[in-house]
Amino acid sequence: MDMPNQDKRLQLLRSAPMDSWIALSEDESRIVAVGATYEEVVKNSESAGFADPLLLKTPKVWMPISV
Amino acid sequence: MSLRLPYKKYPASHGNGFYYVAVLPVSIALPLANSPRSKRFEAIIDSGATRCQFQAAIGRAMGFDIESGEAEETLGINGVNRIYMHDISLYLPGGVVATRAAFSYELPVPGLLGMEGFFEHFQVIFDPVARQVELERIHQS
Repeated sequence: MDMPNQDKRLQLLRSAPMDSWIALSEDESRIVAVGATYEEVVKNSESAGFADPLLLKTPKVWMPISV
Repeated sequence: MSLRLPYKKYPASHGNGFYYVAVLPVSIALPLANSPRSKRFEAIIDSGATRCQFQAAIGRAMGFDIESGEAEETLGINGVNRIYMHDISLYLPGGVVATRAAFSYELPVPGLLGMEGFFEHFQVIFDPVARQVELERIHQS
């Protein structure tokens, strides 16, 4: 993924609801579904016609991850 | 054959800031033949993690009885977390891996790829200049 697309993806993540599951299109250029749970985002992405999305989970607050 | 993956940008907490993360799309399944795989999800390549760890919600959706797994408590930066251990099939570049992994409801990301189950199967080069991670699968005989 080149830098312009990286920046576009970064904007998508900033625009996504917090503490949610999100499904990105295969090329990671858009959010195709959102859900409060894993099951919900899978159902919503399949309903939207995306069988092979890339799933991410947004945190309650964006911050560097350390577990 | 090696795989080069650009670091991904994740939003920082303030303004337009961001930080880079090395990630890999993976999927998991029950360790049984023909078990359905999860959707691909983004897992963080974490050389500081002892083992692979996944969000319990994914495991539960794939048929794992999460709480029946061997329970452990781990001490992380964010405090004590309860994890449940299960044998899984982990789908990685170059083929599936059978490993024992942790599931946690508290994990703030979908998955972490740690030493056991991931790094033991790859030569991993973090390149902070090119901002990419290079993976080469180690096929052990």
